[in-house]
Amino acid sequence: MGATKKDRRINAVLSVLLTILCIAWMYPVFMILMNSLKTERAITTTHAFELPNAETFVGLKNYIYGIQEMDFLSSFWYSLVITVSSVALILLCCSMCAWYITRVQGVLGKGMYYLCVFSMIVPFQMVMFTLAKTADTLKLNNPYNICIIYLGFGAGLAVFMFTGFVKSMPIAIEEAAMIDGCNPIQIFFKVVCPILKPTMISTAILETMWVWNDYLLPTLVLDIKTYRTIPMAIQYFRGSYGKVEMAPMMACIMITVLPVIVLYLLCQKYIIDGVVAGAVKG
Amino acid sequence: MKAKKTLSVTLAAAMAAGLLVGCGGSASTATSTAEAASTADSTSTAASTEAEAPAAAGKVYYLNFKPEQDEAWQDLAKKYTEETGVPVTVVTAASGQYETTLMSEMAKSDAPTLFQVNGPVGLANWKDYCYDLSGTKIAGDLTSDTYALKDGDQMLGIGYVIESYGLITNKTLLEKAGYTVDDIKSFDDLKKVAEDITARKDELGFSAFSSAGMDGSSDWRYKTHLANLPIYFEYQEDGIDNTDAIKGTYLDNYKNIFDLYINNSTCDPAELAGKTGDDSRNEFLNEEAVFYQNGSWEYTNLVGDGKPFTDDDLTMLPIYIGVGDEANQGLCTGTENYWCVNKEASEDDINATLDFMYWCVSSDEGTKAMANDMGFVIPFKNAVESPNVFVKADKEMTAAGKTPVAWNFSTMPSENWKNGVGSALTAYAAGTGSWDDVVTAFVDGWASEAALNAAA
Amino acid sequence: MEKAIKRYWPVFVLPTLIAFIIGFVWPFIWGTGLSFCKFTTVKNVQFAGLSNYKMIFMDDTFTHAFWFTAAFTVVSTVLVNVLAFAIALLLTRGMRGTNAFRTIFFLPNLIGGIVLGYIWQILLNGLLSAWGKSLLALNATYGFWGLIVLMCWQQIGYMMIIYIAGLQNVPTDLIEAARIDGATSSQILFKIKVPMVMPSVTICTFLTLTNSFKLFDQNLSLTAGEPAKQSMMLAYNIYDTFYARSGPQWKGIGQAKAVVFFLFVVVISLLQLHFTRSKEVQA
Repeated sequence: MGATKKDRRINAVLSVLLTILCIAWMYPVFMILMNSLKTERAITTTHAFELPNAETFVGLKNYIYGIQEMDFLSSFWYSLVITVSSVALILLCCSMCAWYITRVQGVLGKGMYYLCVFSMIVPFQMVMFTLAKTADTLKLNNPYNICIIYLGFGAGLAVFMFTGFVKSMPIAIEEAAMIDGCNPIQIFFKVVCPILKPTMISTAILETMWVWNDYLLPTLVLDIKTYRTIPMAIQYFRGSYGKVEMAPMMACIMITVLPVIVLYLLCQKYIIDGVVAGAVKG
Repeated sequence: MKAKKTLSVTLAAAMAAGLLVGCGGSASTATSTAEAASTADSTSTAASTEAEAPAAAGKVYYLNFKPEQDEAWQDLAKKYTEETGVPVTVVTAASGQYETTLMSEMAKSDAPTLFQVNGPVGLANWKDYCYDLSGTKIAGDLTSDTYALKDGDQMLGIGYVIESYGLITNKTLLEKAGYTVDDIKSFDDLKKVAEDITARKDELGFSAFSSAGMDGSSDWRYKTHLANLPIYFEYQEDGIDNTDAIKGTYLDNYKNIFDLYINNSTCDPAELAGKTGDDSRNEFLNEEAVFYQNGSWEYTNLVGDGKPFTDDDLTMLPIYIGVGDEANQGLCTGTENYWCVNKEASEDDINATLDFMYWCVSSDEGTKAMANDMGFVIPFKNAVESPNVFVKADKEMTAAGKTPVAWNFSTMPSENWKNGVGSALTAYAAGTGSWDDVVTAFVDGWASEAALNAAA
Repeated sequence: MEKAIKRYWPVFVLPTLIAFIIGFVWPFIWGTGLSFCKFTTVKNVQFAGLSNYKMIFMDDTFTHAFWFTAAFTVVSTVLVNVLAFAIALLLTRGMRGTNAFRTIFFLPNLIGGIVLGYIWQILLNGLLSAWGKSLLALNATYGFWGLIVLMCWQQIGYMMIIYIAGLQNVPTDLIEAARIDGATSSQILFKIKVPMVMPSVTICTFLTLTNSFKLFDQNLSLTAGEPAKQSMMLAYNIYDTFYARSGPQWKGIGQAKAVVFFLFVVVISLLQLHFTRSKEVQA
């Protein structure tokens, strides 16, 4: 029993330590929040750590300014459209493809699989110029069809994860369904899909985190005359001759970060499990 | 076996499709731009379909460099479209990313028709894309040919805005310290005033100069703009306008003015490396400093809604470094913004672009917008006077017979050279480097960068 | 069954295959080809042989970026994994509040690279200037450590989750048995826990290694390569060569740099996988 007492004391000390660490961990976000409520002139490098006071507090002014000036809501909308459509498309196409290449032995499947694995390690810089050019020629340069590019460039990881899972699935159920007269499409949607659900969630999370935060691909591929995603919009707070509109920029950072945090807190169980599953499979 | 066949057929077909797509790019450009034009047309002129009567076939895509003027350009473009039915798209590149955006946009099928370069060095990179503007209407409207950017006989760029820089001065604070702007007519005067303010710093509650931030948002004020002065006077003395080997005749004067800045500023010289351009501006806005070296583009950041100053509080003084005829020295005035028209664009688009440019600098609407909304002084015959108080200061000085200092920094051999001088200046201010390092970076660095340019 | 599915290949494989060709295969082949050419916007492509590759090694920014990236990758991989493992150990002791801690540590991972860079730029510049040091953009050493701090903040949570999962899979009776046999806690840690979570180590090192080596967004927004490209990493250097240095010669060089960079990544990935996998077998 002495050991447990000692253990408990260690645990208490560790708890305190971890709490302090966690506060430090959250401090950057907190600091941005504080500064986003201050007037522009109170944000200099030396005053960055001061809390807003009566003189410098401006309420939501920076938020309103940032949203209006930068047309931030449409950026938000484009980011959302791109993320949702790309992730949906990746999930659908890649799970089908993965099921096919595990169930059918052949050169097509093998070739696809190895190409996918290969594509996972190719850095984006390798294809950035030619990909942008191809997308431009095919007019895949708006938020509503850029998902095809994302499917192409993101297929590697998704196919890899799905095949990893399909391999461990018993084939017997599918064969039973086949005997019952289902065609492969019915088998896939009625039998395979429900079993794939956990992998779907982890893939969805990984791909969402990638697409939502991606900067370079949309910058190069999207038609910048009309469309800007959030990471692109954030860049526009910096003016020529070195001027940065710090206060609205921090406000927009908060608008970007808050929904992600809320979403995360709401479904953190799925996200954390998804990450684990994704990593173990990967 | 069958699978193999199917695979090879599909792959081959897919590859062929890919190849077709890739190679057919240029061939199909015409149709796709036409399509894009019609869609752009329908969106941007939705509000004014009836005004479309004289609709020219072309369209304009302007890649704008200055984020501050983005809104004004958007409005002006809208007005032009309403008036003529020609679709004008204005895109502004994020700060510091003009070159990258231009490059990536130029590679697209729907490339900018109007873009800008910053002088001879920038032109060298893009001259294969620049349409020869000699003989165009806009070229004929230039007040002086010195604002054109030439390559041989070809006029490839046209300067569209003239800017000035100098010491932005808070007159109210200066009077509080017991001086007026008329007391500052030379470097010695400036030094006397600045040092007197520093001596009484605690009593007055402000300093002479706002901090000389040395990070990327602010160091160009010293490594480029301030460094222009010794270069200008050397060129003047030697009667040249470019060189492969700078002698550094007036580097001692450069040192004197920089010393004056850092020793009479809001903070200790060693802390300058921790200051940014925003810090410097905010100090000036918070009335912590009398002088702030910057240019006419700062006007909108200092005067206006929610800003503490009015036109009466501010003026701009020449940067005196104790060389030449100081009594007749004006502000540093010039341009590093040249318009270029994309040669690769279709005939119609080029014509539409030329018309748009001409409209901007000659029509009532255009010139007014450029002067009032953007605060530009434009070097064209029909220019409207700008309300910008710094621009006015420049005009008054020129009218009084003072000679503006030319922008010779466009002849600096490379960004690398500027960075070398910048780091040496930072180290010197912080006390970790000596002035000799600055001289080395300035003189030897110039020679080696110029040699590299010649070799490339 | 197999035959039946095979007939449906246009439904199952074709969409992905087409997108894959558009989004990866074709740009990859074309890009490799262009690395041997001189071009500005693909209209005027001239074959230039190996000259682009020769130029790479004359460009000292690339070699500098390579060593900078290599150092960064080593330091961040080690730091992130050690710290993540340590936190994972603490969080598997069954303390109260474990879930809350885990939630908070993981959170930064969801923030995008660009935003992350700006957040830390503001914070670190504030700290540095409060201590009277020069800003991030003026000192490549601060830039380096700034990137490391940022990388740790972002990645530790993610790796910690994987390590926690690994540690939870270590059978408790094994640890109990060892304890009864008189093993010390450090013996339990190094002789049982570490070997048992070796698969997690493989994954985590692989992930941090490639993430660090390919880092781009954070580099762009935190330091933008300042001062004078001294804090520029490989991925950003390629982008900078390609897009920011206009002039026909640089495009080809940029593309050639990208090919070299890609080969680096392949070699590193293979070596790393081989190395950890062989360790796993021994354990």
